[in-house]
Amino acid sequence: MFRRNLNGRRAAFSFRGRKDSSAAAFTAALAAFSVAAAVFSPSLPVFAGSSTAFANTGSNGAAEETATESSTGAAEQTASEINAGAAQSTAAGKKEVTLRICNWEEYIDEGGWGEDEKIDLPSGDVFGEKPLIEDFEEWYEKTYGVRVHVEYSTFGTNEDLYNMLSLGDTYDLVCPSEYMFMKLISEDQVVPLSDHFFDTSDENNYYIKGVSPYLKNIFDTHEIDGKPWSKYAAGYMWGVTGIVYNPELVSREEASTWQILTNPAFKRRITIKDSVRECYFAAIGALEHDKLTSSAFLQDPQYRTHLEEELNNTTPEMIGRVQDWLQDMKNNVYSFEVDSGKADMVTGKVAANYQWSGDAVYTMDQADEDNFKLDFAIPEEASNIYFDGWVMLKNGIRGDADRQQAAEAFINFISRPDNAIRNMYYIGYTSFISGGEDPRILEYIDWNYGADEDEKDTAGYNLTYFFTGDDEGTDPDYVLTVPEKQVNRQLGAQYPSVGNIRRTCIMRYFDKQQNADINRMWVNVRCYNIKKLPVWGWCLCAAGAAAFLAMLVLRIRKSLRVKVQ
Amino acid sequence: MRFSRKYLGIPYYIFLGLFVIAPLVVLFYYAFTNGSGQFTLMNFAGFFTNPNTLGTLLYSFAIAAVTTVVCVLLAYPLAYILATGRLRRKSGIIMIFVMPMWINFSLRITALKEVLTFLEGNLAMYPFLNAVVGMTYDFLPFMILPIYTTISRLDRSLLEAAADLGANEREAFLKVTLPLSMPGVMSGVSMVFLPAMTNYVVLDMLYNSTYIMGSLIGSYFSAYNWNGGSMIALILLGIICLFTYLSDSDEGQNNTRGGALL
Repeated sequence: MFRRNLNGRRAAFSFRGRKDSSAAAFTAALAAFSVAAAVFSPSLPVFAGSSTAFANTGSNGAAEETATESSTGAAEQTASEINAGAAQSTAAGKKEVTLRICNWEEYIDEGGWGEDEKIDLPSGDVFGEKPLIEDFEEWYEKTYGVRVHVEYSTFGTNEDLYNMLSLGDTYDLVCPSEYMFMKLISEDQVVPLSDHFFDTSDENNYYIKGVSPYLKNIFDTHEIDGKPWSKYAAGYMWGVTGIVYNPELVSREEASTWQILTNPAFKRRITIKDSVRECYFAAIGALEHDKLTSSAFLQDPQYRTHLEEELNNTTPEMIGRVQDWLQDMKNNVYSFEVDSGKADMVTGKVAANYQWSGDAVYTMDQADEDNFKLDFAIPEEASNIYFDGWVMLKNGIRGDADRQQAAEAFINFISRPDNAIRNMYYIGYTSFISGGEDPRILEYIDWNYGADEDEKDTAGYNLTYFFTGDDEGTDPDYVLTVPEKQVNRQLGAQYPSVGNIRRTCIMRYFDKQQNADINRMWVNVRCYNIKKLPVWGWCLCAAGAAAFLAMLVLRIRKSLRVKVQ
Repeated sequence: MRFSRKYLGIPYYIFLGLFVIAPLVVLFYYAFTNGSGQFTLMNFAGFFTNPNTLGTLLYSFAIAAVTTVVCVLLAYPLAYILATGRLRRKSGIIMIFVMPMWINFSLRITALKEVLTFLEGNLAMYPFLNAVVGMTYDFLPFMILPIYTTISRLDRSLLEAAADLGANEREAFLKVTLPLSMPGVMSGVSMVFLPAMTNYVVLDMLYNSTYIMGSLIGSYFSAYNWNGGSMIALILLGIICLFTYLSDSDEGQNNTRGGALL
């Protein structure tokens, strides 16, 4: 028995295209045309992007506002907000700031929860009445006395976002994955977070007070061009990669290695993400299986560092091996999937699916609703830990202190534990926030996954690493009692066990040369190589070419004849 | 200033300039420059020396050609029967074939996916077949309609004349109906063949993981290689122009000379 409330928080067919490439291709096509507009009219933002920017006027909930935290004047102000443009002074003489945010699609709580969805934690209820953006606008005005107007837009893939920025879209705050914000930082497009943002004495600095020490350490210790991530980026959601599988068809051992992708026992029954980075990681994991799982390697004191080096190996030799492996894999898997993977798992069309943990949680939730049980395994070689983080863009902030303050306040507001819980509940991914002194995150995990008192098969689940940053110790405060099966299911995906988290590593940002090499490799894997064409194929080609030439000659002669007449 | 009918054309000139000429100029610019904006022919040479891009071109050709042939074979008899037969409620039957066009594309392909899964068991075993079936399903109406229109507008007196001159039905069909319906077939072919070379969404949705031209261009753009992607788009455009030139029906000229009829 578990208490997870599953009544359709997320619409059944609203599959989020996280990092997916089909959307990228669509936008690429659009981009080709937008380029034109951008070149000819750089001042016209209408043409410059394919995003669906809409102004969050905040007028929806205004009428129903009752005795919540809204101030008395809020209603009239909201009404005038509709007409508000960029940063300007309103009739009342009050300053207004416009904040342009671009985030993943369906990656924030949009409110409108049903009464039965209230999350009743010991420290108080959490409930999403209105969209979080509206709540932020109200909170900001109440706290700082300045009106803020959020223009919220979304993107489909990291590459989309990058192309949108290249085409001239301006945003103040964006939320790409780690390799993309590394790219943006290295291209000097990002404004560093202010010193005040890291000041723990300000009670409104929810991010620095609540961020998980474990993740904070990762952001402090990872650098790009000598700049630590934490100076520029504030984490939002994170996760790992793994295999969602049907336990009736696939054993846990079989699913716990990247080699399952080339396992002939599951020929044409596994789908894999259509993403070059994910495939590259899996390929190295499978190719270096023996080394990565050897006890000598595991007991190396520098294990984490060496693991990261192994999985980020981009030597030409390794790229060649990966290409061969991926070609084998392509002949063994069901297909590369763009967004059908989740649905195909739930309907039982495939036996296993390479998935991001957040989407894995979603897939298992969906299957649970149909009373169909799916499990999640994190491969024993290594798993890719990824982060989506907020960065402020130079192009948007332009040295405007008010705007930067609003942007940082937004990060803080969504990092407030109750808001982090709302987002997690709504989108299924895992927040960066462990809460600090606020117990609600821990209470939420227990509310979500904790065992009932009459539960028989329970297990202790150690999350000390997430709350204290210590991945070796055990603090009884942070050991949850959970149903045993949850360890391999949603809980194990949303908050990986300490054993699994130690085997995760970051996939670095590839520089231009590495990117070019790896993309060439990917094209080689995905394209039909003309050298593989059989003899009869060449004969057909020759016949076709001959016919084509004959038609061409006839056509030209005809048009010449017409001219003569 | 006096109103002239020329002014009515201004919106169209603006449209042409913004959405046809300008993108083409940019496409050319990107195709013939490298990442740092210098003129280069490397993108062009790269396409024709890489066995993978050539293979993709061939693979797209193969899918498009087979799809077109299947579409013609399915559509021609149907259009012929509908246009010449003594069926009642012809428009109703035509509508049945055209109706799928009015249903959302991805919904249709998703439904087809389920049907194919039911028939084939494991879809991943027949990627080429699936692609052809999906494309045929998607493009068939575009083949039926032009052929049907041409045949039904055909002058019946020509067939009577053929009969008077001693042709049997088969000869009359081969010598009169078929040549005169070719413009319809050609316009159907151009509406099926060219989109089929790039419509990679069908392949994606039916689990064919091999790239065709559309997905290849997309992959170049998501790898930030706009130059290479533009060149492939341009090459595709060139091929399309060549085909259009070939299939360009010169019926107008023929009719004035009375050529094809004799």
